[in-house]
Amino acid sequence: MDNNKTTFEKLTLDLSHHIRINKGFLVWMGFLTVALCVCLYAYGLQLKQGLGVAGIRDYVSWGIYLSNFVFFVASSLIGMLISAVLGLIGVKWITPLVRIAETIAVAFAAVAGLVIISDMGRPERLAYVFIYGRVQSPILWDVTVVTTYLVLSILLLFLPMIADIAILRKKAQLLPAWLRPIYNVLSLNYADTPEQNRIIHRSIRTLSIILIPAALSIHTVTSWLFAFTTRPGWDSTIFGPYFVSGAFVAGCAAVIIAMYFFRSSYKLQDYIQDLHFDRMGKVLVLMCLIYLYFNINEYLVPAFKLKKADALHLHELFSGGEALMFWLVQLGGLVLPIILLIFSWFRRPLPMMLISIAVIVGAWFKRYLIVIPTQEHPFLPIQHVPANFMVYSPTLVESLITIAPFILVLMIITIISKFFPVIPIYETAKERGIEPFNSDK
Amino acid sequence: MEDHSTHGPNHDDGKDKGSSRRDFLKNLGLVGVGAATGAAALYSGHIFEAKKEASGQSKILLTQDGKLVEVDSLEIKARSKSGLDLLQSHGREGIPGKRWVMVIDLSHCRNARQCVSACQDAHHLKPEQYHMNTLQMKDSPDTAPYHMPKNCQHCDNPPCVAVCPVDATYKRPDGIVLIDNERCIGCRFCMAACPYSARIFNWLTPKDAEKDKDLVYNVELNVPQKLGTISKCLFSADRCREGKLPYCVSACPNGVYYFGDENEDAVTNGTTKETVRLSKLLRDNGGYQLMAELGTKPRVYYLPPKNRLFPFEEAKDNQPEKV
Amino acid sequence: MRFRNLLLFIFIICWASLMRTSAQQWVVPDDQKGKVAPFMFSPDLQKQGEGIYTKNCVSCHGMPGKDNWVKQLSPPPGDLAMVKAQKQSDGELFYRITTGKAPMPEFRNILSEDERWWVISFLRTFNPKYVQPNPAGKGVFTGKVVKLQMTYDSVQKKVKVFATELTKERTMVASEGIGIMLFVKRYFGNMQLGDPKTTGKQGLVLFDFPTDLPGDKEGKVELICRVNDASGSISSSPVTSTYAIGVPTNKPGLTETRAWWSTRDKAPVWIILAYTISVIVVWSIIISIVISVIGIRKLNRT
Repeated sequence: MDNNKTTFEKLTLDLSHHIRINKGFLVWMGFLTVALCVCLYAYGLQLKQGLGVAGIRDYVSWGIYLSNFVFFVASSLIGMLISAVLGLIGVKWITPLVRIAETIAVAFAAVAGLVIISDMGRPERLAYVFIYGRVQSPILWDVTVVTTYLVLSILLLFLPMIADIAILRKKAQLLPAWLRPIYNVLSLNYADTPEQNRIIHRSIRTLSIILIPAALSIHTVTSWLFAFTTRPGWDSTIFGPYFVSGAFVAGCAAVIIAMYFFRSSYKLQDYIQDLHFDRMGKVLVLMCLIYLYFNINEYLVPAFKLKKADALHLHELFSGGEALMFWLVQLGGLVLPIILLIFSWFRRPLPMMLISIAVIVGAWFKRYLIVIPTQEHPFLPIQHVPANFMVYSPTLVESLITIAPFILVLMIITIISKFFPVIPIYETAKERGIEPFNSDK
Repeated sequence: MEDHSTHGPNHDDGKDKGSSRRDFLKNLGLVGVGAATGAAALYSGHIFEAKKEASGQSKILLTQDGKLVEVDSLEIKARSKSGLDLLQSHGREGIPGKRWVMVIDLSHCRNARQCVSACQDAHHLKPEQYHMNTLQMKDSPDTAPYHMPKNCQHCDNPPCVAVCPVDATYKRPDGIVLIDNERCIGCRFCMAACPYSARIFNWLTPKDAEKDKDLVYNVELNVPQKLGTISKCLFSADRCREGKLPYCVSACPNGVYYFGDENEDAVTNGTTKETVRLSKLLRDNGGYQLMAELGTKPRVYYLPPKNRLFPFEEAKDNQPEKV
Repeated sequence: MRFRNLLLFIFIICWASLMRTSAQQWVVPDDQKGKVAPFMFSPDLQKQGEGIYTKNCVSCHGMPGKDNWVKQLSPPPGDLAMVKAQKQSDGELFYRITTGKAPMPEFRNILSEDERWWVISFLRTFNPKYVQPNPAGKGVFTGKVVKLQMTYDSVQKKVKVFATELTKERTMVASEGIGIMLFVKRYFGNMQLGDPKTTGKQGLVLFDFPTDLPGDKEGKVELICRVNDASGSISSSPVTSTYAIGVPTNKPGLTETRAWWSTRDKAPVWIILAYTISVIVVWSIIISIVISVIGIRKLNRT
């Protein structure tokens, strides 16, 4: 018992020592805030002068704002894979990763909504989507499912955390004073009673089950924004699964990067172990392979037939203006990571983190390649227009507005990880044979 | 509270707090109503003036003091609605019993681009903004090039309308696809969905923004153009209402355009003003629709560029322009 | 000063266009040159003429005096304020508007005679030296005065037009050899039915009415018959009547069906149901979970 108690004390301390405002946090948040202000200034320009401050024009009317939106929706999908799919199957090793995955899901899903507002010509009319929403429009579905998914993800982040909050609330000396009242409210008087556990477990289970179709919906519906048109490169029946599988690739990479930085900056080496990197590496390879399979389908099938408009589009990707980006993304962001991650040497924290960065950068540019080239080659020729209508190139203002969501995501992840334990204390203790609420008895 | 009440109409200093509260609420209500209709109501008089000549139909009415007066039929309705509301409801209803249709005879087109400039003048568009554009086409390496005027096809299965999240773009019973820029949120999904690249966007301040700022928005003309919203060919819905041919159609010097009502099986040439049977015109000349295989069911028909009236000349101004 | 510049300008343009078109010939018959308007031009009529001009002529000729006519056309339409146009007599202008010559359309069936004169009255406002000849009085007219009557023969299913002319004895007799044209009124203009026909001995012509031509809801169509007179030697006015001989046409509006592209209130029922039910189910589960989780505050004692 006594041994248990000290182990639990150490475990609690290990997993909660990062919950405080330190100098590093202030510097980091200060940096992010300054950067965000610069981006907000750019957005102010756009509000004042119109979307024309961006490089988008009549033919390429969806630019990096939209490809960025797709990327954000994609990255948020990982919460569903880790906490719902693997969780429901009963995979044990994911325990320390669940909250990281859910935090990423919440951050990306919350910001995705803002990204899409930055792409609106009339953002002040956002409420029209709810007032006049047309039930036939995929945009209405997208708004609905992204909102639903965000709420589900917040709940799935919060419910498993109630026990941790209750534990830390009892050990108030571990918490900064200003955080204690918040913990008091959020703990919901949790005391590990069977009745409470029954409700929480049942709720988590139900939410996990709903989360799967909701997550599939958000990215499938996002893919339909393109697949519901007749345009070459978008007119595809496999766009839903293609997008979903691509989303898991991006999400896995995001989780691995987050794991690496949490582990080193919050000193969690004992909890996020090499084993977890190894396993996540295998998951990433699996996801990459599935995505590669969909990529082959998506490009090989039209490339065999070479219908007029498709041929032009594919030519542009394979050997035309977009070829360099296309092959860098496909080889460097997908094929090479698969090859490397097959070897266990690369499934260690640092190489994995570097590979994941390559994967996530590739994933971002992959969305660019899905969204933009199609619009540069409409069915009818582009004529009698200025040169900047024919070829899309993002402007500085546009790039700054595109960076802003990333800053926001980093801020949300930082704040959540500074207010709450990154790794579930209750679950970890249970797995190590400690009864967290009885350890001191 | 007191501060607000002093702005109330007919404010009486003797009123108690309760009535000043009422005044405040009244003010609040006025602000709310005003936001929706106020500005439009201010200009409704302007609309009467503008529309007087347009309707041409008048009615004899008995006034309260027993006189018979002749009143424009449009004005009668206008009294009960503000200018903007009237234009908006007109714009949604369309013209009963009509199914507008356009025929473009490619054998007559010599790229005079009079249609383009008439259209841009009417809709207050910048030089690079096209509701109607003439494209230089060449279907395959061995076939002859030709000029093809291209506007919105006003599809009966419009992919652009299907994706609109807020009913801003809509199809009318008379076949015209319009955009309500009092509603458009600027998501540009319709532009992505249109296979004909018919839609344009007001990326920056529209051309006549300053000049047009006092105009009441006319959905059938899409003037004033609004920043951050979509614009496109409207089949000159405002002209159709007046019984006139669309701007582009009547501007063409080469007899390229026919426009009319499918229900009457008749189209009128914009240049010669000759009215012919639609079915016969299409049958005799091999009329076709642009990319009909996409299933969009366009309301614009093309007659192939055979037996051309003019030799083909390369468009000189078709190089990328500098803004 | 400005006027002199304008004159100089007009001369140069005129000379240049004369050079270009010297090969083109468009001869007006001598008996038409002297034709004059039957009424005095007035500012009102000139205004009317301007309206017709802007609707029918401006696309090729541009506005007179603005030199914005379409340069690519051959023969060049030219600016009608130019001397070349203005030196023509009213009769010549009238003849050219009436008959047309490719690419200039003939306006015989598009504009009434009065309307054609109004256009000329408008054009003459650009010629300060113009003096209108005395209008042709009724007494001066030497041609035939023809009256048309139109009926529909429901047995033969033909439109009958009967032409009578006024004799010197002031009696009406059947008029033979009169060209008749039949039109049906459409939204943007009148559509000619068949070819022009010439009256026989009884002064009669029969027109077939197409069996498949749409009319209004009751099948009503408005027919217009008029004399086909290129020479201007016949005085007659067109006759209009309405018959229920068209195909009754009452097609519904194009937005009747529920479709993907319909407005929200006409969305396909299954989409409304699928969307609403999914949203209600998922959100009621979410809300009930939130409520039950908040409820654990009171369950902290075993």
